Amino acid sequence: MQLLGLGSIFTILFLAGCDAGDSDGKLVVVTTTTHVTDMVKFVAGDRLDVIALMGPGVDPHLYKPSAGDAATLAKADLIFFSGLMLEGRMADVFAKVSRRGTKAYAVTENVSEKSLLEPEEFEGHWDPHVWFDPAIWSKCVDVVSDALSENDPEGKVGYTERAEALKTEYLAVTHWAQARLSGLPEESRYLVTSHDAFNYFGRAFGLEVLAVQGVSTATEAGLADRVAMVDFVKKHGVKAIFVESSVNPAIIEGIAKEAGVKIGGELFSDAMGQPGRLEKGPDGEQYDIGTWAGMMRHNVNTIVEGLK
Amino acid sequence: MREEFFPTFDSGSVFVDPWLSGFESTFQVVLMGFFVCLACGVIGNFVVARRLALVGDAISHSLLPGIAIAFVFTSSHSLPAMLIGAAVAGVLTTVLIELIHRKSRVKPDAAIGIVFTTLFAVGVVVISIWLDNVHLDADCVLYGEIGLVPLRESFILSGANLGPLPIAIMGAVALLDILLVIVFYRVLLVTSFDAGLARSLGMPVNTTHYGLMIALALTIVAAFEAVGVVLVVAMLIFPAVTVGFFFERLPALLFGVAPLSLAYSLGGFHLARWLDCSIAGAMVVTAGALFVVAWFFGPKGGLIYRSRALGFLFATSKQKISPQIVG
Repeated sequence: MQLLGLGSIFTILFLAGCDAGDSDGKLVVVTTTTHVTDMVKFVAGDRLDVIALMGPGVDPHLYKPSAGDAATLAKADLIFFSGLMLEGRMADVFAKVSRRGTKAYAVTENVSEKSLLEPEEFEGHWDPHVWFDPAIWSKCVDVVSDALSENDPEGKVGYTERAEALKTEYLAVTHWAQARLSGLPEESRYLVTSHDAFNYFGRAFGLEVLAVQGVSTATEAGLADRVAMVDFVKKHGVKAIFVESSVNPAIIEGIAKEAGVKIGGELFSDAMGQPGRLEKGPDGEQYDIGTWAGMMRHNVNTIVEGLK
Repeated sequence: MREEFFPTFDSGSVFVDPWLSGFESTFQVVLMGFFVCLACGVIGNFVVARRLALVGDAISHSLLPGIAIAFVFTSSHSLPAMLIGAAVAGVLTTVLIELIHRKSRVKPDAAIGIVFTTLFAVGVVVISIWLDNVHLDADCVLYGEIGLVPLRESFILSGANLGPLPIAIMGAVALLDILLVIVFYRVLLVTSFDAGLARSLGMPVNTTHYGLMIALALTIVAAFEAVGVVLVVAMLIFPAVTVGFFFERLPALLFGVAPLSLAYSLGGFHLARWLDCSIAGAMVVTAGALFVVAWFFGPKGGLIYRSRALGFLFATSKQKISPQIVG
């Protein structure tokens, strides 16, 4: 075995001498979470190939790259990640990436600190779930189009155009969501979910948000949190509570049973749906839950249907 | 989910492609794996001999209070602060284990259990008191990932870029461990395998114990930062126990670590390429498989060797017994 290992390394070193390389001149763009992937894919259009590391249903706090992902990252020219510690240590690595020929951009890098939410005690540890605030998420589109334009100046016109189109779509979805949620009576505006991902959503659309787990999905909910949540749900007469697609639903299911409320459905939080899967809303319109717009429509429809 | 559990095996894409395209990152990952296995394996020989095999796992839990307290003091999760916290907690763990084991009748495995659960609980308490709203766990702020090593910050020495810094650090740690073992070879040998003899020879038993424990803790924490937990915990154990089926004397055990480390690293990397799975995980699976091979075929106490010996014993005892029954 040892000899075999040594033998193979020499063979391999020899083979590596005739490195061919696989450069067709196209930039290799790698993205992390589904939200970032959707944004970058749209802005890049047909000009660039975008390779996503995390699929639908992956918890970005806990994601670990496979050997294939590592190989993808090894040939990346541009890396787009969400930032604000959403991807844990991996984002740390990206932020400091210093390999020649690889640049990494946090799409949230230009978001002003004033618009970010942070836990009270510690500055600089922001709530990373910014895609639920359309105003902030629109700013992130500019980071992507600027970065793509800088690295591929010939495509600049297209990138800028598509970025503007995307922001217009975000705005349209925002107006639609505001109108849809305004139908909810004041006393039922409570959004109870598995983990603390919806604070920006609540701020943007005027809902009070409560989560069983903290910002990080790595710590488990304590018994006291659970009891407090059951009390809250009962006291305020919350009609429905919600599970998340990338978080284990067991705790929410338990609370729903204890408090005697229904589960309003599954929301997309840290990951979006399967790209290309179409869903029909209650007012008959269709949307792709693998896109930001479709994800928002799905969440808003689920919330409104559950709470009304 | 995959259609079938094992993807089709194509030797070209598993063995050749990683080296032809992306040679640099492949080489860096394999080299990193080799250094981690080497550093942990060399020191692991003494760890296993002292019945402290699970000390790596223990430290992975007990460093929580270290990073929590470092966070409270610095209000940041910057890596240097986290590393210092983790290193202090790691050293504290090993020293406390040694202290409890030596100053009481508690056995080493129980001492490990006492120390790491207590420290982990302290970490949980600290976090729930002061840091309830901060995302703080070792996975998020400390543990590295071997697949990301090629992207890590560079080690630049007098203007020349010598590749990712973690590889340089891990290489230095491995070298330092080997040097320490060479320099203190006699003392380590006698204290690890016969503490009574060491004391009667007037060797500095205590100093050696604690020195080894500190080197061990620092090696483990450096390796965690570079490649995460699973590889480190496994490599403190596997090289030592596997090579033990082939050799009995310590010098041979130590030399056996190097080829095994290379086999784990290369084998694991290609296994991971085939299955498209975690690289560190695949390296440990490879180590597990090689252990089973050694356990079956090893000339020193391997199953096949032993079964022949047992069969022989069985045959002779039968022959001895039967005349008695007749008689």
